Amino acid sequence: MEFKDYYQILSVPPDADAKAIKTAYRKLARKYHPDMNPDAGAEDKFKEVAEAYEVLKDTERRAEYDELRKYGGDPRSGSGFEPPPGWQSGGGGGGGFSSAGGRHFEGDFSDFFNSMFSGGGGESRSRRSGMRGQDAEIEMPIFLEESVTETTKLVEYLIPVIENGQMKEVKKSLKVKIPQGVQDGERIRLKGQGGSGHGDGENGDLYLHIRLVPHPLFDVEGHNLVVTVPLAPWEAALGTKVTVPTLSGKINLTIAPNSQAGQRLRIKGKGLATKSGRGDLFALLKVVMPPSASSKATELWQSLSEEADFDPRAQWGNE
Amino acid sequence: MTELVFSVSVEELCQCEEFSQQLIVEVVEHGIAHPMAGQEVVDWVFDTTSVHWLRKAVRLHSDLEIDWVAVAMVIELLQKNEALEKQNKHIEQQLKRFLEY
Repeated sequence: MEFKDYYQILSVPPDADAKAIKTAYRKLARKYHPDMNPDAGAEDKFKEVAEAYEVLKDTERRAEYDELRKYGGDPRSGSGFEPPPGWQSGGGGGGGFSSAGGRHFEGDFSDFFNSMFSGGGGESRSRRSGMRGQDAEIEMPIFLEESVTETTKLVEYLIPVIENGQMKEVKKSLKVKIPQGVQDGERIRLKGQGGSGHGDGENGDLYLHIRLVPHPLFDVEGHNLVVTVPLAPWEAALGTKVTVPTLSGKINLTIAPNSQAGQRLRIKGKGLATKSGRGDLFALLKVVMPPSASSKATELWQSLSEEADFDPRAQWGNE
Repeated sequence: MTELVFSVSVEELCQCEEFSQQLIVEVVEHGIAHPMAGQEVVDWVFDTTSVHWLRKAVRLHSDLEIDWVAVAMVIELLQKNEALEKQNKHIEQQLKRFLEY
């Protein structure tokens, strides 16, 4: 077992007073709290910091830790750390203490912490009496096409379970009927599909965090969709009919003469599903130049430029 | 097939999260989460997204040892940040579609 140098974790000297420890904890907790810092590894770092503070903020527990530190906490010793024979925590142990990170991460302290402060004082609260299993949350990617009707998805996830006193992860899979009209960011609760309860405790819940998968053609704006429609300059000038893709087949769209780039045309009822109906699809017009022009085409552009009375930079003024 | 639920009652929150009713009232009074139904505290029902923020608020309150006013501010900023990130991604994507050919 690895010895944890809680002073080093909080970056304080071993003779730091309670105020310095609190300040160091708050600074690091703000930096690494998983609700504030989405980086990989931040949560583990926060747990480490919370564990160190859990021990060092409590005078009695800190004194016990200091004793242990003298006994075998020299990191230069190279070998793993073992508590002294017959070691039993005096006042700091047992489950059920309230901690800075304890409520959230209860039972999630290191082996080192558990062997120092949980042993001998009876079983932890979770094992002593029934305790509800942990809730879990997983991302659920849904294609736009799937969101417009009820769809059945196979959900596979890892869930922590305690077997013979050891925490391990078990793969679970279940089929879920996702209702039509789910929105990006929405959370769906599946009762009892989270972590297993301990003793008489109920299972936790599973939350599916809906994520609409980015589509190669459509952008999502609430319940509406936007499709960008490229037009040749003469199509925008003269008007045309274009075939526009929707989530369910294609439709013909009439482009009026003298259409502008950036103009949005509304196609009713072809957007995403809502609980009660469908949003709209917007065709966003974009004028595209041909990559190269033949000499004949250049001539035509030339005569157009001579004919057309149009200054695209009129808004700039004359300066 | 598994039963889907889109809400959590106060009673369930107290049981599942070991929150006290007083704590939930505190969170609601600071505008961090809003019940979607229920007149009396015991009848309050929250949508699952509110529960996500409610939990976050309770964790920040206890882990960072900050008061509820500060927690409410942090949550509001986190929500604004999340919305702006989403909007930014959307605008970037549209711009890309508009500029590329």
